[in-house]
Amino acid sequence: MKIKIELFGAARDFANDNILELKIENQTNIKGIRENLLQWLQKKHPNNSTYSNIVKNSAFCDENNEIVHDDYLVSKEQKLCIIPPIGGG
Amino acid sequence: MFHCDVVDVAKNKITLEKAQAFIESHKCGASLFFIGTVRDNNNDKTVTGITYDSHDGMVKKSFEEIFDEANKTLQLQHPVAFVEHAKGYVPLGGISVVIAVACKHRAQVYEFSRYIIEEIKKRTPIWKKEHYINEETSWLDGKKIEAK
Repeated sequence: MKIKIELFGAARDFANDNILELKIENQTNIKGIRENLLQWLQKKHPNNSTYSNIVKNSAFCDENNEIVHDDYLVSKEQKLCIIPPIGGG
Repeated sequence: MFHCDVVDVAKNKITLEKAQAFIESHKCGASLFFIGTVRDNNNDKTVTGITYDSHDGMVKKSFEEIFDEANKTLQLQHPVAFVEHAKGYVPLGGISVVIAVACKHRAQVYEFSRYIIEEIKKRTPIWKKEHYINEETSWLDGKKIEAK
């Protein structure tokens, strides 16, 4: 199935669009989605350690604006947001 | 009473007048304004402006949680707060955030204002991209957010 990942902060540099589409297996958890995104980055931006570190240190939030745990299972087509380390104010 | 918003500065302005009008209350004997602005230097680089990015839904939720927590933790009397944060490009000297608070007595407004800005720094999903004099830009490192 397909899911959408909306990009924020430094992750906006991953692509020209602010939303990526990833193909994942049904019942993939956040840990798996992170791996999937790292593989996508490796194809689009080979060996870019800055980008891969952003993914490794990011959280993900669901459509209810809640940060989800690494074991959260994605079982339907939905949009997640990548939340890189924050620092406003 | 509480007001919060993320202000797209390409379309609207953050103003102290609006903040003051919101927090005015005859129940409160003290009010305090915190204004965050863009400064000209960071990590030995000359800064010309900052682009702020925001997950608006999470930001507003976070502001509301912080207000509720401050109210309970600090046991505030008649708390009123106005919080607006910029989204988009803010030039040198421009306002990035306004936190205006009012309470019954003066001691509490200092604690209240400080609590809000420190918690925003810790947990509110806002990101900064600095612009430098040589036209380079850089997203600033930040703090990793964890699930509750």
